Amino acid sequence: MTFEIMSTPASLIQKQAIEEIQKCNEFTSEYGLALSPSDAARLAETRNIALKSSGRIEFGGGAIHKIIRGFCDSPYISMHNYAETIHELTEIFYYYKNETLDLMSDDDLIKFMKNSFDGKCQGSLELLSGRELANMARNIRYGYPPDYSENQLPDEEDEDGEY
Amino acid sequence: MANIEKRHIIDSNKLSGEQYFTSILQEAYSHGLLCDSEIESIQLQCIHFLAYKCERYNGGESSSIRVEAAESIMKSNLYTIGLYLKSLPDVDFAVSELKKSSASEMYQKGRKLINVRLRSAKHIYNLVQKNKLATPNYSYNSTINEGIKSFFKAYNPDYEAHEIPASIDYQLCNPVIDLAGIEFIQKYLENLFYENAFCRNFDESDIHHLLYGYDKEYKELLVNIFELVLTAALGCSLSNRSVVKLGITAEDIKYIHYELSEYNDHLLALKIRETAGKVLEELNIENLPLGRYIEKSLPKITTNILHAVRTNTLDKTFVSKAIPDLKPGIRFVSGAKMHDENYRKLIDELLVCRHSSDKLALIKEKVKSFEDLEDLLFDAMLNEEEITSVFSILGDVEIAALVRRHPFKSDIQAVDLSEAEMALRQYLKNYIDRLPKGKQKEIFEKADSLIVE
Repeated sequence: MTFEIMSTPASLIQKQAIEEIQKCNEFTSEYGLALSPSDAARLAETRNIALKSSGRIEFGGGAIHKIIRGFCDSPYISMHNYAETIHELTEIFYYYKNETLDLMSDDDLIKFMKNSFDGKCQGSLELLSGRELANMARNIRYGYPPDYSENQLPDEEDEDGEY
Repeated sequence: MANIEKRHIIDSNKLSGEQYFTSILQEAYSHGLLCDSEIESIQLQCIHFLAYKCERYNGGESSSIRVEAAESIMKSNLYTIGLYLKSLPDVDFAVSELKKSSASEMYQKGRKLINVRLRSAKHIYNLVQKNKLATPNYSYNSTINEGIKSFFKAYNPDYEAHEIPASIDYQLCNPVIDLAGIEFIQKYLENLFYENAFCRNFDESDIHHLLYGYDKEYKELLVNIFELVLTAALGCSLSNRSVVKLGITAEDIKYIHYELSEYNDHLLALKIRETAGKVLEELNIENLPLGRYIEKSLPKITTNILHAVRTNTLDKTFVSKAIPDLKPGIRFVSGAKMHDENYRKLIDELLVCRHSSDKLALIKEKVKSFEDLEDLLFDAMLNEEEITSVFSILGDVEIAALVRRHPFKSDIQAVDLSEAEMALRQYLKNYIDRLPKGKQKEIFEKADSLIVE
């Protein structure tokens, strides 16, 4: 008799997630973006791996639906890189949910990711993950606003290296 | 005929008190009362209910949750359902309820029960505060005053119903086992209430003298007061003395040993049980639950007595009272401290002073209070020789007061002390070691009997 959460009916959650991802085609088609059933299945699998590696659990379709809705109008996403970008964004999203200590809601995190991706990062996922989100997560952990610039941070050390 | 009990397929003794829901499912499944599909359906319902609770936990702001948080919520849900199932008349009834009701329905009923239990626990806590003993024992006081109080502030019945967010240091004679969350606290408070109720039949000073006889540092120890008091009461009754004063002498202990050593284990247990009855009679205790609690405590006390009789160490089990107030004490008054500004001036002067003899003369002239002298030993950057010469101008009582406040400790024990404090203690020890043996003994005796204000 087990009630361990990690061993709960994954297939059931997976099936629900695939259905929800495919439903997204209804509004992404407006931007010429669509995911095939196999793309949706792979995306649900990516989500599972990302959740496991970040030590999280999600019930239902969850955040992929929100990520797709948030990013479908990005000028840096087209049909040829759509599935791949969403894969990466999903991994980045769950990683930074932990890094921000759950202090940021899904919607706020996706909004920050979208603004940075379309703005400062100009469509670069490396810059988004390695610079913008890393800085934002550090700001959150230190109690600064998410978009606080490092240059504005007060000097914590004096010349002698003493606090 | 009154003892006829209905027979159940599931043995309720095999069920876990802490994880009642899971254990009842296991037992019901193994006895064929629940089939595979029913078990699966219950598991699935629990998962759906967990998803709902996680959403509430996140306040709708996040669709995912950390696994540890989800596991804790799951444990809390299962605990709450288990609490409801436990409240049903019997196990068969609980199994039929599992088949009939959904997980969320059972949870809601359990959640209401938690509220009732919480109110009841608060009521018992108030009663415990009222019948609390006046004792200097730290663990007893801190558990009642702060430890349990913090539980009522921190307990989260919605998401952490199975947790016990309280710091409970005081050990009961009958420890609470196999219970969690609100059930644990409620049982702990009930037991504590009975222990207090029994101890209140005795004078607080008698209890204090008894515990002082057990160990003069008992206020720092993790001892159970009730157990010591009940044992002493049994000892009094065994030696045909009045129970009320808890007074038992070395002669009485010899007599008890002589009497009990003739019994075998079984007879000795019977004798203790009979004596407990006499104690209750003498104290006019007619409260049935209290009587049952004392009866429940007897096996542990009987084992202690039995072991002591067999090893001829009964004087360690039955404690004679000791009256600390009879010991002569020296009241030590430090004197008024000098003004901060004057103190700073003195330290500045001492720091610029070259010769040790000048420093000593300055200290002799300016320092009039013990506390100033103590501060100065840290602040004036004196070396060992200078500190030793300061010691030599002090009287025995002052040295004894220093020994009392700065006792020498080994390196491991002194790990939390500052470097200056460690040095002072070392110098003091070196100074005392050089004194004649008689003088050393005199100083330590004075330090023991000192009443420092």
